[in-house]
Amino acid sequence: MKPPAVKYQRAGGREEAIALLGEHGDDAKLLAGGQSLLPLMSFRLAQPGVLIDLNPAADLDHMGEDNGHVVIGAMTRQRTVETSRSIADNLPLLSEALRYVGHVTLRNRGTIGGSIAHADPAAEIPVVLLALDGELVVEGSSGTRVVSSQDFFIGPFTTVLEPTEILTKVRIPRSAAGTGAAILELARRNGDFAIVTAVAVIHLDQSGKCDMVRIALGGVESVPARLQDAESVLLHAELSDDAIQGAAEAASAAVDPVSDIHGSGSYRRDMTRVFVRRALTQAVDRAKGGAT
Amino acid sequence: MTATETASSKLVGSSVRRIEDHRLLAGHGQYLDDISVPRMLEAAVLRSPFAHADITSIDASDALALPGVFDVITGRDIMAVANPQPIIWHPIPDQRKPQFHALAVDRVRWAGQAVAAVVAVNRYVAEDALALIDVEYEPLPVVASLDSALAEDASRIYEDWPDNISGSLTYDFGDTATAFAEADLVVSETFEHGRALGCPLETRGCIATWDTFAGTLDVWISTQSPNLARDLLSEVFDLPVHLIRVRTPDLGGGFGNKFDFYSEEVMASLLSRRTGRPVKLVEDRRDSFVATVHSREMRLEYEMAFKKDGTITGLRGTTYGVMGGALGTVGSGPSWASVLTCMGPYKIPNLNVTVKPVMTNRSPFGSFRAWGVQNGNIVHERLVELGARRLGLDPHEIRRKNFPAPEEFPHFTGVAFAYDSGRYADALDKTLAKVEELGWHQVKADARAAGRSVGIGCTFHVEPSAYGPSRILNLVGLQHSGFDEEVVRIDPMGKVTVFSGQINMGQGTHTIYAQLAADGLGVPIEDVKVVTGDTDSCPYTGYGTGGSRAAPLGGGAIIRATARLKQKVLRIAAQLMEASPEDLEIRSGIISVKGSPDQNVSMHDVGDAAYRRLNGRLPEDEVPTLEETDVYDPENMATSFGCSALLAEVDSETGVVTLLDFVVTDDCGTVINPMLVDGQLAGGFAQAFGGALYEELVYNEDGQLQTASFMDYLIPTASEIPPIRVVHQETPSPHIPGGIKGVGESGTIAGVSLVGSAIDDALSDIGVKVTRFPMTPERLLEEIRRAENEEVSA
Amino acid sequence: MSDRHTVSMTINGHRYEGVCEARLTLADFIRHHCGLTGTHLGCEHGVCGACTILLDGTSVRSCLMVAVQADGATITTVEGLAEGNGKLSPLQEAFRDNHGLQCGFCTSGILITTTELLEENPDPSEAEIRERLSGNLCRCTGYQFIVDSVLDAAARLRG
Repeated sequence: MKPPAVKYQRAGGREEAIALLGEHGDDAKLLAGGQSLLPLMSFRLAQPGVLIDLNPAADLDHMGEDNGHVVIGAMTRQRTVETSRSIADNLPLLSEALRYVGHVTLRNRGTIGGSIAHADPAAEIPVVLLALDGELVVEGSSGTRVVSSQDFFIGPFTTVLEPTEILTKVRIPRSAAGTGAAILELARRNGDFAIVTAVAVIHLDQSGKCDMVRIALGGVESVPARLQDAESVLLHAELSDDAIQGAAEAASAAVDPVSDIHGSGSYRRDMTRVFVRRALTQAVDRAKGGAT
Repeated sequence: MTATETASSKLVGSSVRRIEDHRLLAGHGQYLDDISVPRMLEAAVLRSPFAHADITSIDASDALALPGVFDVITGRDIMAVANPQPIIWHPIPDQRKPQFHALAVDRVRWAGQAVAAVVAVNRYVAEDALALIDVEYEPLPVVASLDSALAEDASRIYEDWPDNISGSLTYDFGDTATAFAEADLVVSETFEHGRALGCPLETRGCIATWDTFAGTLDVWISTQSPNLARDLLSEVFDLPVHLIRVRTPDLGGGFGNKFDFYSEEVMASLLSRRTGRPVKLVEDRRDSFVATVHSREMRLEYEMAFKKDGTITGLRGTTYGVMGGALGTVGSGPSWASVLTCMGPYKIPNLNVTVKPVMTNRSPFGSFRAWGVQNGNIVHERLVELGARRLGLDPHEIRRKNFPAPEEFPHFTGVAFAYDSGRYADALDKTLAKVEELGWHQVKADARAAGRSVGIGCTFHVEPSAYGPSRILNLVGLQHSGFDEEVVRIDPMGKVTVFSGQINMGQGTHTIYAQLAADGLGVPIEDVKVVTGDTDSCPYTGYGTGGSRAAPLGGGAIIRATARLKQKVLRIAAQLMEASPEDLEIRSGIISVKGSPDQNVSMHDVGDAAYRRLNGRLPEDEVPTLEETDVYDPENMATSFGCSALLAEVDSETGVVTLLDFVVTDDCGTVINPMLVDGQLAGGFAQAFGGALYEELVYNEDGQLQTASFMDYLIPTASEIPPIRVVHQETPSPHIPGGIKGVGESGTIAGVSLVGSAIDDALSDIGVKVTRFPMTPERLLEEIRRAENEEVSA
Repeated sequence: MSDRHTVSMTINGHRYEGVCEARLTLADFIRHHCGLTGTHLGCEHGVCGACTILLDGTSVRSCLMVAVQADGATITTVEGLAEGNGKLSPLQEAFRDNHGLQCGFCTSGILITTTELLEENPDPSEAEIRERLSGNLCRCTGYQFIVDSVLDAAARLRG
């Protein structure tokens, strides 16, 4: 299981990376954390002609705030984000979710942007991004564009990124005070890719009715999915157990589940119901407790 | 005998720290892939993408043209100079036993079967070349599973056979028909265990150096059985064994998988012969999932007859062993072993049990820790529990009622084995007492009250070990033997070296041998070195390191050899001290007159007298040197046993099982090193828990393996395996020197039925019955729904 | 034509230089070019953890990097943990005392992983240790005695 022959080029920064992509186009693969790309190469399932290493690009490795958004550079290590005090304060759901991503040693190297651009349907970070209504900053030789997380993922391991574009950063709006969020996951073992990841983000108005809800699901369909059918059951409703169960049923009915050796489509549909209900219940508890 | 021997000894029975560990912890272990031989090349193997196909052409010209490539061989090249891969176990008379060559000749019968091998300057280039070999296949109908193999209209893997069944053997004991006719209750069930493999963290590998000028073949192999490998290389190449040397470096785990003899050893040897260069061939992890033997997969259709009071009066049924596309080194041995052990610890007077190995287009079946005995364990333990449920009895009462009493040993099971000794009820009582002490019943009750499903499982196991009298093994179909030979030598400095044909693969063989030799001679353990892993310098073992043999048989031989060697030491010391040997004793390497410790000589003095300054010091009638060889062939096997309990929680909405805590009372006779016994049990159980809940080699209907990575073949991690608590009980073997029995397989035998028992108990309110392993969350959820529906319709 | 690079790195305090193909994994560079075979390859796809090393103080899988990426890096492998001259580190001693290893193959990665854990958290709970260990597969021990070893080492290191 040795990687195939490949050329290697360092990108010292964002612009150099874009230039190198322009030069090599389809033949090139961006090397971020490499925690998915290197295994694919070792299995010889990926055989790029050129690796463009983004690790030297310091301008892609940053965390900060901008106009009510948390901004994270694409090459920021997952472990750095997970252990960041400021992320824990501003986006606790993201800190929590990162603990489901592989294992510490993989997160030491794996990056936020790498996971998003790889677009594994069972990965956690894309699901959280959807649930938090994040947006993606994409840059290429023809300029910069901002893509909503709802539009970014178009298929398994497929995004709207053009061959000459790179994901440079993600922007995630800070949650309003009183927002409750939860992530729950079913995986065969600790650290495995999800059979189901359910994320719920909820805000209640002063009367206790739901005035904002986002439910996102990973591992079930071929792309990470927002579950608007389920959300509409809850919006403007009192969040009783029955309402939550109704939303879970709606979620389960709406999904178009994939099937693999770890879980059939029908099992994934069942587990969608269970995990959406559990995630909603926890998110509501947190919203009521005032903690996110 | 044994009681006093062990009581008076210092090291045996204590948790001596391992002598292996310093270098392994420092990163100075030497595993196969750490070895480089000068001028060495590296090979890689091209494997069939089809489960069943004719090979119509192979064109390796592009691969041969790639810079850095030295040679490519195919099945035709192998067939010209090599015999098929040998089978050593032949337990079933008149069995059809399809063999195969190291590289497929004209036809492949499983996905991943080796088709060609490339040797190049390094592994990177060798893998590049694999992609350049052009093989054309004509696909054939695939027999992808046991069901499709047994179907009426099944296509046949061997066209000249009437069906896909390789053979059948029935053991009949007592009068089973009458027992079942007169039973108060018959419990019938079909159990399934999926395919699994041992997955040592170090994959298999070899480095072959065939010197065509010297005529010698020198091979490093990561094997548990270097003598067997040497003998089988000899059979394959018609090369005399004295020209073959097999060396074994540190092994990164074996678990039976490295017992068997593999095609890669043959390919690397031939590539070395053709290129005139040493050739390293290490399977990578992806290779390992198709190229290392598979195990465990059996369908067990059995029924047990009970009287109302819980007396078991009969057991009958069939084990279908799901073989691959050809037979591996141990043939259908493990399926056969499930039949030999399906009565477990119970006195069952009437038995009619059959083994039927069936061919499928899957990888060949072979050795993996527990070797089919865990499948036998599923039969007796699951049926006893299901019977208890139907009879309204406590399963422990059924167990107790049917155990042979301690005075009833040796106990003939009815099929092949006579258990040597046991205190079964004591082990059961100790486990139940421990469960009480830990307060599990309260934990379970509290969980139930909170709406959670927590259960306590229990299982009893018997581990046949110390395989085994050579003549008996020959009689039941082994074309190898069961004795062990050990050499113990004291050198001129008075230090001790033990030479053994056994292999150290992590179980601590060197440490326990050093303990036994040090105790036997009265020297400190630091003065003992153990040498293994070289057929040129180490003695012969009839079988190898498998069948939980190393401690009882190698250990037994060391006890006997050191006893004789000690007498010679005492005779020489007596000469040096002008005393009588009977008046002397040895402590910490000092030989002194009993009661007068000041009157002494050292082991060094004795060594010097035996090797260097003999004149006037070595008794006239003694030969120089200090060395004893012992060949130990036991009169019977030894049977370890024990009882385990498991606390587990089931999420009845998801089918996820969480293992919380477990206890095992284990009795492996005299315990040489409690710490190492605990390690064997903990590791053995973890492998069983893996097979019970997580690990499965899944094939699709085209015979393609779906789980050829560690992302899909799920070895449990530290988060999945619960803490272990071990209770030791010691019932020495009456016939093995030192009373030692084996322990390597107990945990793996016991752990699968144990998980089934705990799940059943957690879901007893809805009547769940676990019959299939691994019990994945999805399968358990289906079973929960089935039980719920049954309850509703009832 | 293969792409070759000159790389240089400091491993366990020694400087190593080499010319290698871009595709050469860091693990193979460490094992075969530097002769440090204590770092083991158990899967070559980033799951088993046997090849774990410390790269600039942080644990990484050496099978999931190419060597050229580590140009200029400071690396610690298992060979760099012992105090030298036959003396093991307190963590290694704790593994020996608690039977935290059997075949020793996964042990290098486990020692590196737990070295990092104990640096971050000198007093980890059993659950935290199990969580951290879950990125390293061990097929021999059933993990319990590894957990015990780490608890023991933590106590020793705290004094």
